[in-house]
Amino acid sequence: MGISSLKARYKDLHVFQLEHPTKVIEWTGDKNICVAGYTGSRSEILELLLPLKLYAGENQGLCAERDFKVQHGGFSEEPIESLIHISGTRCVVTSGSSSSTLQIWDIGGDDSDVIKRTGVINLKSTSVKGCKIAPGLTDEPAVLHGSCISEVQLTEIATGRVLYTVAKESSDSVSGLQFVNACVFLICASDGTLFMGDTRDPSTCHYPLEDSKSGLHWAFGLRSDSSQSEPSGCTVARLSSSGHMLLSDLRNLQSPFCQTQLNVQHDASKNDFLNVSWAPVLDRCLSVSGFDGTVHIYNTINWSTEGQSPQPVFSHRGHEMSDEAKYSGSPPVVTTHSWHQSRPKTILSVATDGSLHVWDWVDKITDR
Amino acid sequence: MESQKSAAAGFWVAASFGAGQDVGRSCILVSIGGKNIMLDCGMHMGYNDDRRFPDFSYITQNGRLTEFLDCVIISHFHLDHCGALPYMSEMVGYDGPIYMTHPTKAICPILLEDFRKITVDKKGETNFFTSQMIKDCMKKVVPLNLHQTVQVDEELEIKAYYAGHVLGAAMVQIKVGSESVVYTGDYNMTPDRHLGAAWIDKCRPDLLISESTYATTIRDSKRCRERDFLKKVHETVERGGKVLIPVFALGRAQELCILLETFWERMNLKAPIYFSTGLTEKANHYYKLFITWTNQKIRKTFVQRNMFEFKHIKAFDRSYADNPGPMVVFATPGMLHAGQSLLIFKKWAGNEKNMVIMPGYCVQGTVGHKILNGQKKLEMEGRATLDVKLQVEYMSFSAHADAKGIMQLIRMAEPRNMLLVHGEAKKMEFLKDKIEQEFSISCYMPANGETTSIVTNPSVPVDISLNLLKREMALGGPLPDAKRPRTMHGTLIMKDNSLRLVSPEQALKELGLSEHQLRFTCRVQLHDPHSDNDTLGRIYTHLKSVLKTYSIQHVPDGTVIVESIVIKVTSSAEEPNLKVILLSWSYQDEELGSFLSTLLKKGLPS
Repeated sequence: MGISSLKARYKDLHVFQLEHPTKVIEWTGDKNICVAGYTGSRSEILELLLPLKLYAGENQGLCAERDFKVQHGGFSEEPIESLIHISGTRCVVTSGSSSSTLQIWDIGGDDSDVIKRTGVINLKSTSVKGCKIAPGLTDEPAVLHGSCISEVQLTEIATGRVLYTVAKESSDSVSGLQFVNACVFLICASDGTLFMGDTRDPSTCHYPLEDSKSGLHWAFGLRSDSSQSEPSGCTVARLSSSGHMLLSDLRNLQSPFCQTQLNVQHDASKNDFLNVSWAPVLDRCLSVSGFDGTVHIYNTINWSTEGQSPQPVFSHRGHEMSDEAKYSGSPPVVTTHSWHQSRPKTILSVATDGSLHVWDWVDKITDR
Repeated sequence: MESQKSAAAGFWVAASFGAGQDVGRSCILVSIGGKNIMLDCGMHMGYNDDRRFPDFSYITQNGRLTEFLDCVIISHFHLDHCGALPYMSEMVGYDGPIYMTHPTKAICPILLEDFRKITVDKKGETNFFTSQMIKDCMKKVVPLNLHQTVQVDEELEIKAYYAGHVLGAAMVQIKVGSESVVYTGDYNMTPDRHLGAAWIDKCRPDLLISESTYATTIRDSKRCRERDFLKKVHETVERGGKVLIPVFALGRAQELCILLETFWERMNLKAPIYFSTGLTEKANHYYKLFITWTNQKIRKTFVQRNMFEFKHIKAFDRSYADNPGPMVVFATPGMLHAGQSLLIFKKWAGNEKNMVIMPGYCVQGTVGHKILNGQKKLEMEGRATLDVKLQVEYMSFSAHADAKGIMQLIRMAEPRNMLLVHGEAKKMEFLKDKIEQEFSISCYMPANGETTSIVTNPSVPVDISLNLLKREMALGGPLPDAKRPRTMHGTLIMKDNSLRLVSPEQALKELGLSEHQLRFTCRVQLHDPHSDNDTLGRIYTHLKSVLKTYSIQHVPDGTVIVESIVIKVTSSAEEPNLKVILLSWSYQDEELGSFLSTLLKKGLPS
């Protein structure tokens, strides 16, 4: 890409190549992320320090550090499908595609750079897509996990004790799950049905889609004001593999307040990588990836008034445009992306070819 | 004779290097096959006293180093690899050969002299080498060509490989007998605009010594770094500002020149780019001379036009610094500590439209170091202060191998052991594990000054006589296989520097000795109410059931023969039930003979 066109579109763009591609990016600190391999039988888990140049602020010019540093690394015996960090600890939990356990790891501190496995949580079954996992938000570290609705349970990490099970006889597979606050959680099934539960209450409510089309796979993204929110402050976005988008208020999950169709290519084989995330700082902005080698940013404020397909505020095409992509038979697909927690327009994205991009885009409207 | 596992053979390595990432000094001692080799002799740029030199007392407490070292090898012209060479050879004392590539030999003395001038003339230091010492030191240099084996003496040979990194940088293989070690110096596994990538063949050294400064780094793509650099230069020039890029005489400067030239051409920019006089000529001269050391693309285009004769880059004249309007200037020296770059800096520092881009590490005390630390007011000679209003940018363009590069090199060379220098041990355990697991080799990470011992399994070639070979083949079993050791019997004759394996008979014949046969006899008493013959028969049956795989014969003359062991039974007339079993065996069947006597002492089954 020419300098002038890049200058206009990006404030910052850093391109890296990981040795092995990852489908997880998980923040373990202000400046640290964890990534993990999923393509070999032996996979590496790495904790990386972001380039310090991003944090140098006014003195950015004086900071030469524009590289990622591998701070800690470990080996897993299986490809890793999901990885979550337990806030306030140095503990991460992973689920893989071949074993019937969740693995518990200690990332480590200053004295050693090796990530060690400290335990397992036994699962009822093995799932090729890996069990979906989410961190509990209570003081005592726990993980919410399940590959199908009836198997979802909350397990205490230190003891292995089952704290809660979902009392729902449903074999629908789980696409994602997340806690809204310490007790309330959401599960999104692959067919787009939402389940909301409370660990203080054995029953869960479910909200199927009004107009459920078969063959589609759904992912969800939760937007909340803080990590311990009340449902009133939360919005859920659901994205289908055909680009259909639903926005719902947690107080009224039955009827989404906004429905729209994004202009994306539908490819059923790429369901694995569907990702919709809300920006932590920018108001009502969300990002979408997994259809191809692009990450699209949308501003949802005007969505309900728009008749046709909404236009993205920005599209990052870097993964498609690399030299490697041009020469390979199949173009890379973005496996996941993640917003920086404090820098409003900084995003990290990774793709099937092992590329890792950190970028900060220029908003044509507001950044002139 | 089992040929693979011999007694403890191996060599040791002691590394002396600086701590931390950019600053450091390399000087490694290897003792292999009785030979002592010094790899690199660097200067530590962070110190102003004797700490900047390596501590040669490791080698000897007093006196010259000549008798303790078989040779010295220098990997490339960076001062942290060769800066202490004149000190070592002329002030401490070493008269043996110093090996380096042709470009290194040509460029080293220039950098050493530059450095000497600044240290002595500007800083007024006294315990430092002189210009004459640099000249005398270089007289001891024996230049190396790539991939050419050089015989240092009868047993020690060395070979240089292309390392990338800077012009003339080499990785070196050192071989003594069947043991070898490869030292990488600084290297780069990805080609850049004017140099190729490092390359080595599958030489399978016993040890690969690699730098690991960037081992835990995942480097930003070169295109991004270049894009950033060009963006900054372009922005400054567009707003009418001037860009100063302090550089060392040779090194990354050429890379940046090619980059700017290409960019200026593509964007059709008009602002002038200048390169310090003297520098251009020297650099061009060396790149032309050593064109084979640059990369493929440069060699190809060199026929049409010299890549180092630029269309948009002109020689600088100091009066140009006062010209109005935008410009870009490459000037020496690199740390803004003296000379032209400092003069220009002083003129341009007061204008915020201008920019200075520092392309490398700056030693403490230099202006470069101060402005990189954010200092906005500098004290100059005569108490004058300089306001630093121009934009200061630090962009590192050094070409080193990262973790992926190190793994690639290991895959190329297939060493049996790995040694990493320049890193912090506790931050490299993961890399050590990774290397050990992926390649099943040991990985060492010695601390500064620590000695590492490497145990090798050298194979000793031995000639085997045809007779013996035929005899072994006749015994049957699997054919000789290099991967499956097999026990055999023979006699090893070491004579006149040759090793021969022959049959014992032949050895005796050659030595003119007669063979002695040793036989052991043992008597075992047994109570058995049968006749002597029957007892013998019972012994035969018993042995046959126990020793199923051995050849046991019951000979009619009244003996049982097991292999070479002869068993007879006798008794006395007075006590016919007290049998005496006579066992006799030759020395070669000692084990079996002992076994049989113990077995028969236990008696016969009824």
